[in-house]
Amino acid sequence: MTNIQNILTYFNQLPILLQIVWIGVLGLFVSILFFLFYLYYLRNYLRAEEVISKNLFTEYEASLINYLYSGDGISKITSEQQEIIDKMKTCIQDKFKRTIFISVLSKLKNDISGEMATAINTLYLKTGLIKYSLNNLESKKWDKIALGIKELTQFEVVNVYNEISKYKNHDKQEVRNQVQLYYVSLFHFNGLEFLDNLKSPISEWNQIQLLEILQKFDDQEITDISPWLKSENDSVVLFALKLAKIYNQFQVIEILLNLLNHKNKQIRVCVIEILGYFQVKEVKQILKINFGNRSEEEKVAFFKIFEDIVDEEDEAFIIENTSNPNFKIRFLAFKLLKKLNIEAINLLKVNASGINNEQIFKFLEII
Amino acid sequence: MSNLKKIVLAEDNSTLALLLKFRLEKEGYQLLIAEDGKKAIELIEEHKPDIILSDIMMPFISGLEVISHVRNKLKLQMPIIVFSAAGQEEMVLKAFNLGANDFMGKPFSPNELVIRVRRLLT
Repeated sequence: MTNIQNILTYFNQLPILLQIVWIGVLGLFVSILFFLFYLYYLRNYLRAEEVISKNLFTEYEASLINYLYSGDGISKITSEQQEIIDKMKTCIQDKFKRTIFISVLSKLKNDISGEMATAINTLYLKTGLIKYSLNNLESKKWDKIALGIKELTQFEVVNVYNEISKYKNHDKQEVRNQVQLYYVSLFHFNGLEFLDNLKSPISEWNQIQLLEILQKFDDQEITDISPWLKSENDSVVLFALKLAKIYNQFQVIEILLNLLNHKNKQIRVCVIEILGYFQVKEVKQILKINFGNRSEEEKVAFFKIFEDIVDEEDEAFIIENTSNPNFKIRFLAFKLLKKLNIEAINLLKVNASGINNEQIFKFLEII
Repeated sequence: MSNLKKIVLAEDNSTLALLLKFRLEKEGYQLLIAEDGKKAIELIEEHKPDIILSDIMMPFISGLEVISHVRNKLKLQMPIIVFSAAGQEEMVLKAFNLGANDFMGKPFSPNELVIRVRRLLT
């Protein structure tokens, strides 16, 4: 008691500045102590949660396997399966348990197909998990909406098309991506109808995902892509161009030739590459007319595809471009000329002046 | 001594491993499960299984390394079936070059796997 009194007396005699410093030190000390205890508690809590989560995961895994092997093979729910469904219905009322159960279902659904995959979809519906996914669609948080759509896609719920379509032009790209994946995963090529009125851009990553999903289907009969090639949405045109190439859409060549004058350079370059892939000779006449006015990327793309469609009539144009200031174009021109008329290249070699083409000649001698 | 044919299943997806264990045990095989490539190699060296089922992408040691170890180091010739996810075509080719006998792309049907295992073991 006297010690405390002495400390207080000493403290009161201190100058005001030192008193403030001491109060600050004490405050900091208490805060550090508080945070240390809080961290200790948090660590224990997270560890305990991890253990519970692991145990629940194992329990649900076993329940799921039991459910899948308790089926009678004739699509009816057996009494044993019904018992598991009832048990899970109660469990999933708790958000934590529901998240774990969905992760167990998703993990297996990703890796298996056939009857068992269908049985997992049925379990998703029968336990009422669909209700929670649909509730997520009503959320104000975009990540919850995206998650809801992802679950509905994964468990192949086809009858919520209209509910999901509400989000096809959502502000957040992640939500739009999920909507597009839903359409294509469940409605295959028919699902691409969303491209008709799409206002927002399709991300490059989502385009790759959509193409990958489409290629998995047995039915590879693609719908008419012409309207998408004429779309005002550039990302839709670019996606349609990818479809045209992958699915060899020769019937759209006329539209592709028109796209050579599209306002978007990326589209023009892409069209040149595809026309080259299809070996369409008409592309030469169109591009030669205003070759000088085209961008460097288009010129290079054109010379790259030239190899497959080149003929003797093009010699003068190629010779003209052997003095092009762009090294890539010059190299490709010499390469083509070597293929077309080796004598001409030897003549140019002798007469070469101004531009140093030594490296190109050396390389062309090797290949 | 058990006469059951032994299968080493190397799969890091515990749910899939459990599902296949039940299915293949029901068919009369003895299943040894490894959750990664390292454990798979230990099981293979210890038990000399009749067939190996291995995922390609696994922690620590990949399915490709498991195949290479079995064929080149242990000089074992038991059939090997590999599982691969979409987009791993190059990996599958590498697996065949290393000595895999068959492959199944994920997602796959467990029933189809049973048929392939049965065919390779007869």
